[in-house]
Amino acid sequence: MNFEEFQNQSRLYVIGALEPEELEEFERVRRKFGKKAEDFITECYGLHEAFALSLRPAKASAAIKERLMSMVRTRKEA
Amino acid sequence: MTFPGAIHLISRMHRKAKKPVRAAKPKTKKRERAAKLKTMRQAGAAKPKRRQFSAPPQLEPGAPSDLDLMQAIQASDADALSQLYDRYNGILKALILRVVHNEAEADDLLQEIFMEIWNQAKNFSAQKGKPLGWMVTLARRRAIDGLRKKQAYARAEERLQNETEQQPDAWVHNATEEEIVLGDTRVLIRKVINGLPPAQQQAIDLAFFRGMSQREIAAKTNTPLGTVKTRLELGLKKIYDGLKELRDEL
Repeated sequence: MNFEEFQNQSRLYVIGALEPEELEEFERVRRKFGKKAEDFITECYGLHEAFALSLRPAKASAAIKERLMSMVRTRKEA
Repeated sequence: MTFPGAIHLISRMHRKAKKPVRAAKPKTKKRERAAKLKTMRQAGAAKPKRRQFSAPPQLEPGAPSDLDLMQAIQASDADALSQLYDRYNGILKALILRVVHNEAEADDLLQEIFMEIWNQAKNFSAQKGKPLGWMVTLARRRAIDGLRKKQAYARAEERLQNETEQQPDAWVHNATEEEIVLGDTRVLIRKVINGLPPAQQQAIDLAFFRGMSQREIAAKTNTPLGTVKTRLELGLKKIYDGLKELRDEL
């Protein structure tokens, strides 16, 4: 697998779409390319952000934050 | 599940997107941006820093950055979590909702995810990416797990189908004139995504928002596995390249 093919696989990898047999080969090539591979994968995670930001924000119920902060305070006190 | 309604709407939207009236607006916006940049440079302003792939909401001057907030959360500062919640609950809820298609479940998952952010903050590393990316990855995984655990695929699919028939969802939403004029990050990113052929959009949608493997997508869409792989690879590359272009343009 050359680096261009690795790039294609990386984009599938970050969205969890690699099949198990592809994953094994991907991890092997990932080790071979080292830091260059890690940097590219990190960049690919930007796709996650982009997909989330492409959605129209939704309004959460007001009670959720209150419940969350109450749980956090309880956790801190424990 | 099949997406006859979704495919129809995507195709319709795709055709609409090619109308010259809609295409003219962004070009005007682009010219305005270019003129603004030229004026700034003539006035001696430094070249603006390249934006990341996507931009989080605009912050008030002096507001802590996402990284500041994450570091404060790592130091058990509850107020920082409160601020991070105010900043991103809308984006994360939209993502969860896109996966589970149920308001009450989405609210519950949102609360669980922010609790997980609080509990797992120590595992966040700025070297591995930005806080929003980390939170989105965590939220997506949790939402997909939630969907699988409750074995709600069938129910969600039915709801999705009904919703798609009743009104366009986030990915197949027709941008209004007002939104195009606004030209915000969301609209720009969606333009990149909406520019893909419907089959590629569908494959990516099923993989990202439903957590499906290539084989599952192939079975669901009655498409050869190799075709699904090609659609995913081409679609993701186009989005990746489109976002890079967008970043350069901004």
